[in-house]
Amino acid sequence: MPSTTPPPLPTGPGSPQDVPPAPGSFPIDPDSLPPPIRDELTAPDPVAIDTSSAELKDGLNRCPKCGSTEIRQKPGTDELICLFCRHQWHSARVEEQFGLGEGIDQLEGTVIASGAKDIAADAASLMTFKCPGCGAEVTINVDNATSARCHWCRHVFTLNEQIDNGAVPDAVLPFHITKDDAVARIRQFVDKRRMFALKAFKEQFTPENVVGVYLPYMVVDANAAADVAGQGEIETRRYTRGSGNNKKTYYDADVYQLDRHVDFTVDDLPLESSANRSNLDTSRNTNNIINTILPFDTKNAVKWNASYLSGFTSEKRDLNVEQMKPHLEDQLLSIARAQIAGSTRRYGRGVRWEQERLDLHGSRWVSMYLPIWLYSYHQPGRNGGMLHYIAVNGRTGETMGSVPVQQWKLLLAALTTGSAIEGAVLWMLGYAS
Amino acid sequence: MIFNDDNGLWLLSLGPAGATGLYWMLYRYYRNTDKSHDFEHETTVEAQPVTGSDHKVDEIHGTREKFIRGNNVNNYRQRVQRMDE
Repeated sequence: MPSTTPPPLPTGPGSPQDVPPAPGSFPIDPDSLPPPIRDELTAPDPVAIDTSSAELKDGLNRCPKCGSTEIRQKPGTDELICLFCRHQWHSARVEEQFGLGEGIDQLEGTVIASGAKDIAADAASLMTFKCPGCGAEVTINVDNATSARCHWCRHVFTLNEQIDNGAVPDAVLPFHITKDDAVARIRQFVDKRRMFALKAFKEQFTPENVVGVYLPYMVVDANAAADVAGQGEIETRRYTRGSGNNKKTYYDADVYQLDRHVDFTVDDLPLESSANRSNLDTSRNTNNIINTILPFDTKNAVKWNASYLSGFTSEKRDLNVEQMKPHLEDQLLSIARAQIAGSTRRYGRGVRWEQERLDLHGSRWVSMYLPIWLYSYHQPGRNGGMLHYIAVNGRTGETMGSVPVQQWKLLLAALTTGSAIEGAVLWMLGYAS
Repeated sequence: MIFNDDNGLWLLSLGPAGATGLYWMLYRYYRNTDKSHDFEHETTVEAQPVTGSDHKVDEIHGTREKFIRGNNVNNYRQRVQRMDE
């Protein structure tokens, strides 16, 4: 049995998923092939950049000066601070350490950083550590945390080893926006949207309940080329026929066949690497809110250290690079079309692109935790209701949200306004006759 | 009678149009369903100069449409047929 079925063939213009089958999926089950071929097919892909750090071990992550495990991010900075001896230090920026900003135009194939490699099917979410201090067993649920405190001797445990469960990324971008700042921004955002807001939402509005959460992203560099073809029209004459109320405008135009090619590189494109978050269906969820507050200053991301996550929750990655490639190709095609639009200015009647092609020469994938302040409100309703988010970018402070509306109020306001306009029209018509 | 006049009937649609327009404007302002990451413009893109060709293939006379049918030059995210590799 093939492990994955190839995607269906394109059904016509605009099909969003019409990309070739993923390189990881085979039409024949590798297990039915002779061992040498099977071994070749199933051999692991090379890991090009190793971002795992030797100095950080799972378990006790100690202050380099005094050995305490009470380490936190110093608020408002990218530095870590030991709460015991006040020693401060800085994790290395991944941009320089692994050369992530360089050589994008030379990229070939798929380069995957060690924290972005495929998630093992049997990876466990619960990880248990034996406390070296007192011998107790401490469990971390990596679905939403990467650190825990031993309940007996109060040592702090952190998860730093890149095991294949998607919980430990290559890099982390620490929070800069403080909680007070985030609360003020959310309050300001909602204050501008109170009149037609759902009554229950307004009554239960407590922005102090905002949660700082690190969400998983793949930050992608790409080297690609795109071709598009279609037709454009230039107006040559415009004239009117008829008279009085039957006056109609007609156009003459020249029709051109166009094709365009562009080579381009993209630096640090962030893509959601959680299947749940990457579903941007606005009729079912408000994930587009979290998508809107992108981008982040990912150039300042630092090498992974779980101590940055103390006091925050996290969500682990559950998508692999091959699953995210159609999404990347879709966005690269959109970027290419935006670049090409400037070369079609002379076609005043517009251009209808009919065909397009993307050649992805190379891509580099780095897995990152990005900081977001998230306020949520659950609106009851059909199919489980709707979860409304208000999100604040933990670095730039960009704020976006979805405020549930009181439908009858909004309808009443619309109908009242419509009736007023209609009344004015009727009065004018009556006056004219 | 004025209601038999073309202009009069056209004006009558202003009321429903105003109501619908206001409803959607306010709904979007509250719910922001039309927003997403503007990655086409908010990402660092370095592009080589665009190359290509233009050939005149036809002429149209006396159309009443103001734009080419299916104009998608600014609708970057509308995917079209993929060319064969």
